[in-house]
Amino acid sequence: MLQINNLHKTYKHALEPSLQGLNIQFSTGIIAGLLGPNGAGKTTTISIICGLVAPDNGDVVVLGDNVRTELDIIKRKIGVVPQSIALYPQLSVFENLQYVGKLYGLEGTELKDKIYHYLKIFGLDNNAKKSIKNFSGGMKRRANIIAALLHEPVLLILDEPTAGVDVQSRNMIMDFLKMYNAQGHSIIYTSHLLEEAQELCDEVAIIDNGKLVVHGNTEDLISSHHANNLEDLFLKITGTKVRD
Amino acid sequence: MQKKAASVSRIIATIINECRLFVKDIAGLSLLLLMPIVLTVIMALIQDAPFREYQNIRFDVLWVDNDHGQLAKKLQEDFSQTKQFHLVTSVDDKALDDAAVKDLVQKGKYQIGIVIPNGLSAEVINSANQIANDIGSKIGAPGKLPQRESRPGNDIQVYFDPAAKQTFKLSIMNALEKFTTKSEAELTLSRLAKTMNSQDSNPNDSVNIDLQNRLRAVGIREASPVNTSVSSATNSVQHNVPAWAIFGLFFIIIPIAGNMIGEREDGSLTRLKLIPGSYFDILFGKLFFYVMVGVLQFYLMLQAGVYLLPHFGLPALYMGHAPVALLLTAIVISFTATSYGVLIGTVFQTANQALPFGSISIVILSAIGGIWVPVQILPYALQQLAKVSPLHWALDIINDLFLRNGSFYGILPKLSILLGFSAVFFIIAGIVEKRRTR
Repeated sequence: MLQINNLHKTYKHALEPSLQGLNIQFSTGIIAGLLGPNGAGKTTTISIICGLVAPDNGDVVVLGDNVRTELDIIKRKIGVVPQSIALYPQLSVFENLQYVGKLYGLEGTELKDKIYHYLKIFGLDNNAKKSIKNFSGGMKRRANIIAALLHEPVLLILDEPTAGVDVQSRNMIMDFLKMYNAQGHSIIYTSHLLEEAQELCDEVAIIDNGKLVVHGNTEDLISSHHANNLEDLFLKITGTKVRD
Repeated sequence: MQKKAASVSRIIATIINECRLFVKDIAGLSLLLLMPIVLTVIMALIQDAPFREYQNIRFDVLWVDNDHGQLAKKLQEDFSQTKQFHLVTSVDDKALDDAAVKDLVQKGKYQIGIVIPNGLSAEVINSANQIANDIGSKIGAPGKLPQRESRPGNDIQVYFDPAAKQTFKLSIMNALEKFTTKSEAELTLSRLAKTMNSQDSNPNDSVNIDLQNRLRAVGIREASPVNTSVSSATNSVQHNVPAWAIFGLFFIIIPIAGNMIGEREDGSLTRLKLIPGSYFDILFGKLFFYVMVGVLQFYLMLQAGVYLLPHFGLPALYMGHAPVALLLTAIVISFTATSYGVLIGTVFQTANQALPFGSISIVILSAIGGIWVPVQILPYALQQLAKVSPLHWALDIINDLFLRNGSFYGILPKLSILLGFSAVFFIIAGIVEKRRTR
């Protein structure tokens, strides 16, 4: 589903490059974890995959299409859940989703049915008319995910989807992601919650200083590095020094 | 074709979304629509007085007559006859003198004090006698009036409150100049008549000078260069309402810039950019909405000039005779203001940076653009600087339509200048945005 070749990126005025020759390949139909300490280059990589940031060098092929030349096609195939709650707080969740759906070309009852379908899955159907600003943190996170699902993306990319949510909401999100993947959709997922990543991801790629450090099947990597779990593996690879 | 339909659908969806956001913000909505109307009405009322050049205001003038002669009496009559001045000769039952006048004016209790010096009438009569004798001798008039050497230093003293504005001083000095010149001329002519009607001359040749009528031989009347039944050129509403309406309209940059920064901060912009299709569809939808809000706001302010200001004793606004041209002008002005809002919202990273800069820049652009004071009275350099303010061109076009009988085709060149401003604002915003995402 994703092929990243020799990806380089240095932001203007930045002292250090964010990505320096990153190479990753994720196969289709899996849940892949893109992990790394702060400043490793995760967000830059996702931003390049989505077309928000242009790479200095290298190639990114998403679901068979090159980001440089087929960005609009890629955008139709992917759904992105940003780390921030990218919804209008004054509007109700229904109004927010209706606007996003219309921008994706969905109309009428098809759009309405899809909105209520996902609102029900995420337990928000009774709060459809409630303003986002009156939602709890967990409700906002769930609404944020729905906005990326309305156009039924083949690949779902989530940046810290469970940051700051309660256990119940996190379980609901995790269960949904497993179900969505079971339906044949691919998922790329970033998180600092490594226990959660271990539970969810078939494969993980750990990057640091803009380079790939290790990549493989989650359980195989843990055992091959004689680690107790993913967090242990992560610390062994990236060290214990605090990153800013 | 399908792509075009999708594009239109996205634009409509964005307009509906902006409407929803707008309606949900009741406080913002009322501020955006009501505050400019309040501003326009208040500024029109406040600026009405100076705009009328003090014509309808009655001033108390401290008056000290140390002369008690013919000229002082005539001046006092002339001042008293005008509705503009009320002569005050005593304060607290005490007759005024030079020192009291200076003191009261200096303390700001009165704005003007006039002291007629002792011997003024005698000096003016002597001067008139000299002139009459000179002219009389040249035309062979029989009489000769008594005369002596002139004694300089008989000036009328005028005291102004130190806080009085220059324009106010000028209007008072002009009035005083007019009255003294008239009195001197009357006196000179009556003296000349006296030399000609002396005892030695034939009574049938008596010269009867009807001075009042003679002085009115050449009158001055303000005439309108445009064919309109409304005397709009000289009323303050006609200048103030469009000026402050344009000023208020430009404040639409505040919600635009605020929303843009808010969308960037809360990630909504990122989501919009992740959606396939051109982001320009969404941007166009947003711009269209704000342009229409600006047009609505502009017309509401003009309607306040038409229907509200007459209730405050001001004349109703005359909106010209080119409604289509006015609508197009309102759209272009609103579009220019909106594009400036996009620029501010793009260049600045936070609302704390953008909103003060946006507000203050509008005040500066309005000051140099002739919203506060007419550009014509500014120094040459500032008059040239006014051309860099879109508010100047906006006001100029409205003046063309309301005061100069401007037509649709006549305003097109100036409208294209405003569109040029918009183009520059968008280009700069585009460059900044591109650099930011590198």
